[in-house]
Amino acid sequence: MKWTEADIALFEKEKEYVDTAVLPLVPISMTNNMKTTVSMGEYISIISSELERQLKGRLLLLPAFTYLSSEEQATTKDRLKKVEEELMLGGIQHIITLTADVNWKQVEDQVSSALLWMPAIPLEHMDEQYKMETVSAQVKQVLQFVTNTWQSNINS
Amino acid sequence: MAKKKEVTRRQFLNYSLTGVGGFMAAGMLMPMVRFAIDPLLKEGAKQDFVPVMDTSEITNKPVRKEFKIDQVDGWYESEVTQSAWVYKDEKDEIVALSPVCKHLGCTVDWASNAAYPDQFYCPCHGGRYTKDGVNVKGTPPLAPLDVYNKKVEDGKLYLGKPEPR
Repeated sequence: MKWTEADIALFEKEKEYVDTAVLPLVPISMTNNMKTTVSMGEYISIISSELERQLKGRLLLLPAFTYLSSEEQATTKDRLKKVEEELMLGGIQHIITLTADVNWKQVEDQVSSALLWMPAIPLEHMDEQYKMETVSAQVKQVLQFVTNTWQSNINS
Repeated sequence: MAKKKEVTRRQFLNYSLTGVGGFMAAGMLMPMVRFAIDPLLKEGAKQDFVPVMDTSEITNKPVRKEFKIDQVDGWYESEVTQSAWVYKDEKDEIVALSPVCKHLGCTVDWASNAAYPDQFYCPCHGGRYTKDGVNVKGTPPLAPLDVYNKKVEDGKLYLGKPEPR
């Protein structure tokens, strides 16, 4: 479900079925490596909205968590933890964060969400057909990750 | 006798007044009527058919095809990806099912669960559908999968809008 009024109305009605939140982590920078930063964010947005389309009924796609590339890692992490706490209070059991920023790997074990890092693939020069295939192949693997998260929770 | 055929002044005035009056009334009513029935006339300009694949590629095993349609949502125009499960049934007829689960809208997958090799399976809440798209009793979905409007032209399959059964 998306972060829109219509979908949230459905979310409130069917809350028991929606136990997963997807949070894209998107860096912002205007002064340093702007293009790389943008491509990270764009790629993650594409992947997360496609993921939402496939698993609409069980996950809620949140607006991106944004931070400055120059921001202190510890501060960003603390802010993310606050967001996680809020989501947990709202009844979310699994939080999946998607990012293309490799710095998050270093703090992976300090956050409670399932963090998935993937390198951003530059899509700008691909033709439409190839772009779609690339994205759907990538999303397929992300789907696997998400369903595994659900599975492991049933077993434990 | 000639007198009988002549139009009197009163008659002439009556005729011309009804004529002009009627014309004016029509001029006022026509746009109103046109406004009132406008939604009915617009319905004709529905979503067009989009070419999806060659019919020769279609087998009796469902394959997933992705295609893009233009969607206008208020002022916001966008390209939306849609998918369809396409296969031929026992009577050799082409079937195109919408993969959107009727429970909460996840995308169902063909034979993705090893326990149910001949069914569509929804990864979200375990909903299942048989090959013809009918929901399996006892799983969350309450309706069969939508079916696409389709047509075949020059060996290509065109899909339109998914319709509920």
